[in-house]
Parts: sequence; C-alpha cells; structure tokens
Amino acid sequence: MTTAQRAYDIRELSLELALRAGTCHIGSALGIADILAVAYFGVMDPDDTFILSKAHAGSALMATLALRGTVDREQLLREYCQDGGAFGGHAERGVPGVEISGGSLGHGLAIAVGRSLADRLDDRTRRTFCLMGDGETDEGAVSEAAALAGRLGLDRLIAIVDANGHQGLETEQAPDRWVRFEARFAAAGWEVAQIDGHDHAALAGALSAAAAGRPRLVVAHTIKGRGVSFMEGRFDSHYKSVRPHDRERIMDALQAGRIAA
Amino acid sequence: MRNAFAAALERSVQADERVCLVLADLGWGVFDEVERLAPGRVINAGIAEQAMVGVAAGLAQAGKKAVAYSIAPFLASRAHDQIRVDVAAGGADVTLVGVGGGVAYGYLGLTHHAIDDLAAMRALPNMTVLAPCDPRDAEAATEAALALDGPVYLRLGKNGEPALLAADSPFAIGRATTVRDGADITIASTGPILAEALGAAEVLARQGVDAAVLHFGTVKPLDTGAVLRALARTGTILTLEEHSVIGGFGGAVAEVAAEAGTGRVLRAGFPDSFIHEVGSREHLLAHYGLDAAGVAARAAAGLDIAPSPRRLTLQRGIA
Repeated sequence: MTTAQRAYDIRELSLELALRAGTCHIGSALGIADILAVAYFGVMDPDDTFILSKAHAGSALMATLALRGTVDREQLLREYCQDGGAFGGHAERGVPGVEISGGSLGHGLAIAVGRSLADRLDDRTRRTFCLMGDGETDEGAVSEAAALAGRLGLDRLIAIVDANGHQGLETEQAPDRWVRFEARFAAAGWEVAQIDGHDHAALAGALSAAAAGRPRLVVAHTIKGRGVSFMEGRFDSHYKSVRPHDRERIMDALQAGRIAA
Repeated sequence: MRNAFAAALERSVQADERVCLVLADLGWGVFDEVERLAPGRVINAGIAEQAMVGVAAGLAQAGKKAVAYSIAPFLASRAHDQIRVDVAAGGADVTLVGVGGGVAYGYLGLTHHAIDDLAAMRALPNMTVLAPCDPRDAEAATEAALALDGPVYLRLGKNGEPALLAADSPFAIGRATTVRDGADITIASTGPILAEALGAAEVLARQGVDAAVLHFGTVKPLDTGAVLRALARTGTILTLEEHSVIGGFGGAVAEVAAEAGTGRVLRAGFPDSFIHEVGSREHLLAHYGLDAAGVAARAAAGLDIAPSPRRLTLQRGIA
C-alpha cells in the first residue's frame, strides 16, 4: 500500500472520529496526515520513537495507530471522546503507541532529546522523531531543548515542524518568518531542511536523511485542513467542531480531493 | 463566564487607560471589542505563557494595570515561577485570569484540567485568589480584581454557566455569600460548582435535611468569620470545589476549623490522582461524586456519623 493511500485513510478515519465525537482541531489533524503516513509507513523502523508534541492533532495519530494495528480500530471508533471512553481529545501516554501526554504545548522536543540521549547512552541506533506545531515553537522550552540537542549533537533526533502558518490568534507574521525560523535552529547547531509537507517523496527524503553530529529539523510546509477543500487553509478549522449533518459534504470533498490528486 | 469577563474588561479599558491585556495566543473572538476600544493595549505574546506573565509584570512595574489571560493550567502551572517571583513577590498590579478552572475542558484531558491551581496560587504570599460562580459574579469579580492594586488570580469557568446568584448579590473580596440558609449542615463551595451544591441542598431537603449553602467567591483571603459562624450554627461544613481535595478551598476551610478547634470539615473534590477518565465536565463531576446527587450522598453519609445535636432527627429524615 502506498503512503498516499495511507494518508487518505488517516484523513478518513480522523474525520470519522471527529464526526462521531463532534470534536474540534480537525484542521490540524488533516494537515499532518501526510507527515504521519510517510513517517509511520515509509520511514520509521519498528523500534523508532515518534512523539506527537502538537497533541491537539491527536485524532490523526490515533487514526495512524489504528491503521498500524497498535490500537483497536473498532474500540477507537466507539470510545474516542466519549464519556468513560479510553481515548481523550489529546493523545495521552498510557494509550499503546502514544509516548507523551500532550495538550500542553512545547513539551515534546525536550522529552525527545531525553529519549534520544538515552538511546545514545545505551548504544542503540534507533531514531526519535518529534512532530511539533509551528505555533508551539513560541514556547521557551522548545528553544531550550533545541539548544541542548545542538550542543549534544544528537544526530538520531529528527524534529518536524508542521508549518501551516496558523496559530491560536490571527496575528500577522513577518514575511521572512521561515527564513528567521531556519536561522534560529541553524544557530543552535541543527541541520535544517524546508520542504512541502504534502509531497511524499520530499518527506521520505528529508525524514531519512542524516547529518553526522547534528540533529535534524524538517520544516514541513503544510495546509491546515488539507484534503477537504472547504477546510483548507481555514483558520477556523482549528476551533469549529465537525457536525454530523456535514458528514456527506465532508466525505464527498475528501473523495473529490483524492481524484484530483 | 469568559464573555462576562470580557464585558467587564471592555468597561475597564475605557475607564482606565492604564489597563492592558496580555494574551498567550488564546481568546479567539473573545477580545475583539477590547482590542477595538483599546488599540495597542492588547498584546499577544504568542504561545509563550512565561513571557506573557513576565511582560505583564513589566507593564505593571511601569505603572500599567496588566491582565494576563490563558487556560488555567497554562497560567498557574506553566508560568508559576514568573507568577511567584515577578508578580507575587514584587506585589505587581497584575490580574492573572485562568479560564477553564477545574474540568471545564472535559475531553481535552489532564493537560487542560486545572485541579491544583487554587493550591498553587493560594500558597503564594500577596496573592488574592478569586473564584466566582456565575457570569454576573465573574463580571463583578473582574471589576474587584482590577480595582485592587496588587496580584490577583481570577479563576473562571468557561462558557454557558447558569446564573446562580441574585442579580443584586454584591461581590466583595474576602466575603462569602449565603445563598441558602439551613441548620443541619453547611455546604460551602467555590466557583461554578455552586450549582451542584444548590442541587444537593434540594436533594437533602427532600430527605428532611436542612442544608445551608455558602458561596466563597474569594478563596484567599478566606472569610474565616463565615467559616466559624457556619461551624457554630451547623456543626459540620462540607466543602465542595472543582479541584483536588489537597491544598485548595477545602484545605483552607479545614485549616481554619482545625486551628479554632471547633466543628467538623468534610471535603468534596477530586481525589489525589490525575484524571485519566475521559469525559465531559458533567460526566467527570458525576464520576467523582461531585454532582448534586453525589454531594447530597456525601453530606448525608457525613451527617450520619457527625456528633450533631440533631443527629437522631436527621437519621430518621434520611431513612
């Protein structure tokens, strides 16, 4: 099965979860489906570690874990964001395949540094991937962890930033935002690549590449809501809940998107 | 409650040019009017709560009245050191507003639940801790917080809370409000969970138990007079809070009773564990026995063994 098919399945299942639970943050989940598909089904070895720091996109991670057989798909559909269920709106450590309790932003990278450092201490060669939102890199803890990773030269650490250009409030950004962004990590000793976060070949190349002695940052430029035309690039897809009466329109748009691709 | 807070803030920025609002990338659509009324005085620090609080402290040092707003744990936990050193120790005129106090964010899980914020804020010297119960109370509490020259932690629910207090019920920092009179037991609550306290009093009334209900819109400084009067009148206080039973409102009431050596305090709140249960606020309150039925059962069970002069009557009433 191609990673493109996997990405479609992740989107479809994420939407199904959101439709059943009436939850929000669907735009974030759709936006990272290609990154998750390529990481989990194209690049990662079974023992590699994946940390989702932007856990509000947790439905996409849960969908990925279900497609991979790590969590039970039927149980997920039944219990995601349901009273007394096993799966909350933010992926939480304790659920199989979920490494950190997310939801408070800016925690993932430092934990990833710790995991990667432990592997180095134990002479293990597995890699640690950490997916962050662009907004959450505002957090001081991200800069602190980035500086440390650069200093330690953790070359089995791969951070990915989901660069969709949106965050909580529509604050205007500097036009050279991504140049500054790259410079910030490069100054901390990171190897930085900027790619189209929906281009599977580019993702596979960037996530597999390694630079000796340096951690790697992949700035994946994405479109929030990708895959459902009327959600694409929409800031409000962060907050608006998906409503059951929109099911047909949403699923039609998802299918139409696949045909167009 | 957050809209009520915004409404009070809209008035404040017009009345006082010193008032500034610092955000950590939250509050979409809530502060549009504040921004229109006070251009330049709404500052988004980005998803950077520590910087938000530090900036608020700096603004206050320079003579502004700063308001910092975020989801409660991202403020009270994430930025705690900045709150402790820059705001509380400095006595800075900063109002820290935590939205989603307790488990208002339900399904979003433990990172979004604030069940230790009252304890953390209450332990800080100089800090005033407010927890209004309904939209109108939140509006009045906001005004009181801004009128006070010093650090305040204002804990809000989220949205859609019902009105619980009479429209003319005054808000005064440090003063509890009697919402319902009663002689058998006092249910003392803080924040929007007052709705469950009132519901519990109704359930108890049907069982022949006459429960008083007090609302503590201020957790610190605590209205110790109200606590002692309630203990004298009903012998037992059952505290109710959308918070851990450790160190918060119930803890504060118990400290007063223990030092006075009088009466009995029972605490209803979340147990000493993280909430891994998934669910809406309503589900979580019911799951932990903090809804009206659970609180009534707790009060009845407590009374059954309480050394109250009315014990025999009560036991008949409950049976």
